[in-house]
Amino acid sequence: MDTPSKVPVTILTGFLGSGKTTLLNRILVEEHGKRIAVVENEYGEVGIDQALVINADEEIFEMSNGCICCTVRGDLIRVLNNLNKRRDKFDYVLVETTGLADPGPVAQTFFMDDEIGSAYALDGIVTLVDAAHIDQQLGRSDESTEQIAFADVLVLNKTDLVNGEALDGLETRLRDMNRMARVVRSERADVSVDTVLNLGAFDLDQALERRPTFLEPEYPFEWTGVYSLDVGRYELSLAEGPDPEMSLVVVSDQGTDDVALRESAEWCVRRYAEPAEPIHPGQETSVGTHVNLQLDSPGRKSFFLEVDTPMRVGLYAQHLAEEFDLQLKNADGAVVPTEAERTWVAQHEHDDEVGSIAIEIDGDVDPDRLNMWLSELLRERGVDIFRMKGFISLAGESRRFVFQGVHMLFDGQPDREWGETPRRNQLVFIGRNLDEQSMRQDFEACLN
Amino acid sequence: MSELSADGPRGVLRPGWAAEVGDYAIAGGWTVRGEVLVVGDTAGGVYAFDGKSGATIWAQPEVHQGGVLAVAMHPRRHAFATAGQDGRVLVWSAAEGQVSQAIEVGSDWVENVAWSPDGQCLAASCSRQVCTYDADGAQVWRSPDHPSTVSAIAWSGAEELATACYGRVAFFDTSTGEPRQKFEWQGSLVSMVLSPDGDIVACGSQDNTVHFWRRSTEEDSMMSGYPAKPSALAFDDTGTLLATGGGQAVTVWSFRGKGPEGTRPGVLDVHVEPVTTLAFAPGATRLASGARDGGVVVWSLRKNGHGGAQGAAVVEGAVAGVYWRPDGRALAALDAWGGVTAWRIGR
Repeated sequence: MDTPSKVPVTILTGFLGSGKTTLLNRILVEEHGKRIAVVENEYGEVGIDQALVINADEEIFEMSNGCICCTVRGDLIRVLNNLNKRRDKFDYVLVETTGLADPGPVAQTFFMDDEIGSAYALDGIVTLVDAAHIDQQLGRSDESTEQIAFADVLVLNKTDLVNGEALDGLETRLRDMNRMARVVRSERADVSVDTVLNLGAFDLDQALERRPTFLEPEYPFEWTGVYSLDVGRYELSLAEGPDPEMSLVVVSDQGTDDVALRESAEWCVRRYAEPAEPIHPGQETSVGTHVNLQLDSPGRKSFFLEVDTPMRVGLYAQHLAEEFDLQLKNADGAVVPTEAERTWVAQHEHDDEVGSIAIEIDGDVDPDRLNMWLSELLRERGVDIFRMKGFISLAGESRRFVFQGVHMLFDGQPDREWGETPRRNQLVFIGRNLDEQSMRQDFEACLN
Repeated sequence: MSELSADGPRGVLRPGWAAEVGDYAIAGGWTVRGEVLVVGDTAGGVYAFDGKSGATIWAQPEVHQGGVLAVAMHPRRHAFATAGQDGRVLVWSAAEGQVSQAIEVGSDWVENVAWSPDGQCLAASCSRQVCTYDADGAQVWRSPDHPSTVSAIAWSGAEELATACYGRVAFFDTSTGEPRQKFEWQGSLVSMVLSPDGDIVACGSQDNTVHFWRRSTEEDSMMSGYPAKPSALAFDDTGTLLATGGGQAVTVWSFRGKGPEGTRPGVLDVHVEPVTTLAFAPGATRLASGARDGGVVVWSLRKNGHGGAQGAAVVEGAVAGVYWRPDGRALAALDAWGGVTAWRIGR
């Protein structure tokens, strides 16, 4: 018997009124011509003839062993196993959950039931977020938090009801909770179907392509410019910008390659931790100390830097240069061009219990040590780890090892050859109260 | 299936006939005297084949919109019932393919249908409820909601119905609707079978165990160690042997003496993919098994549950069901590619 390819399944979650049914209908209209089955837990107005709509009550089946990861959705097992018994398979299955659904058992069903796992592939979890109400919902219910934590795509919907600043804040909050997810904004769930279907969502490659920096650590500064300077007096000129002040550390003997920039960044993190000296327009700033430029007066402002031996300096600035039209001029008033520039992922407060941890590190991992670490981590913290995925460079393996997991359930296999690409490890965990530092250290201890 | 892939059936399985239905052949059965084999498919069609030749007697494609889910053969008459995704149960005459009753059970799938032992009453489950109907198709009783969708039903007496769902097995007096006995177990019970004397009820659970209870003593036991969920279960006619799927091996527990607790079950290991269906031959310790690999095996068992293969055959698709003709002299298998295959059984 031949083995047919697995049917992709997309789960639509989100609180009542977040726009799930609107999005569902939009998908059905745009994907006209495909054989789509819809499993509806929340009986909305699905009015498309081509789709087979099956209404089923959510049935959460916990096992006697009490293990939350063994909890599955009985309705999905029943319905999907039956749908699989057709000679003409469906091209796609969409599941619309109730507003209060816990996405854990939904995702776990695809790992725990062998019949489902062999016939279907969970393509992605798409969570609709009502921009006007999510802030209150997040405070009140675990379900909305978990729906965000589990998502591959977060559709920030009803953006017309909220002002831009609040939206930015909301988006930042969502990203803090789930760095793995793609965030898209919409007014009436009018997102392109490509952004929610056929994601291959467990493919981390895509996430990395979209946002190459999302695995990076965060820094207290956003921008670095490297300048080659002769002896002389330089003027640092800034226009009016969005903030009344900006922290800055000037590093001497700065290299221009990425390694040198990262090294200085680590050094600057420690300088940034020291109290800043306020510097007013017209005053001198200095190399190697944490200063705070005072920018609350109107018009362009100038600060001065005295250089007594020729060298390259790196300016590690709290904000992006373009926000203040930052320029460095020599004594003749000519603008000095940067030799290198780099932006950093900015740090901010994390006030939700649920967050993401990303680890990115070069080198080969010892398979036995990795296995021991992961077994212990999942045994002890599995309940609090909602999702994880990543690539591992295993010692002695020419292929990249790719893994994903839900709570304590873990699934991994080698995929493509490393070939020319640099061997490195990239891991993302989304969970509750995870200890980033200890996880990072424990993973580093698995390296050869 | 290297051992079984030789051309044609082997051992006690002798060439019979083959036919086809329109889609996945999901359920079926032989009429009471074995003249006709009835088959339902997932396109909603119902077919009747001559038991000897395999010739199509009649065919009704697409009567249950969405697909057939269950078939129950009448224990005394030349009739049967089908249930489907359209929320209906249809009662048929096997000879002409006429629907004598069309019963609207509910708006959800009707996943189970069963005749009472005397054939006077029909039970069906739809979502969380079970209903019983009299010989005229009039509703006698409708149960209150179960804790979840009912996964299996079985008559445990002339007026007593057993139901299984997530978390429990329950026995109802169908004349009064009163629950008579309940056994609770925190797990999703996906299959159920009763011993012929009605004392033992066995259930396969989603957590890869088989759970059973003795009704007389209310003692329960759990058999674990299955690699997959035991969705196929069968008792022999004497109530001594319980055959269970739950992986590619068939595990047979013997209730002889103080068993099966503390005994070693018979393990019948020929299939290379999970077992999907099991049926004991009437009045014999001969077992038929079918698996996802398309293999059909007939086993000869001893009273301790151990035994060996007597015959084997391979059909095209995953085996959906195996059905012994009531005289035990023929076996039919339904498969995922719509194949209907019948073999004569040698002595």
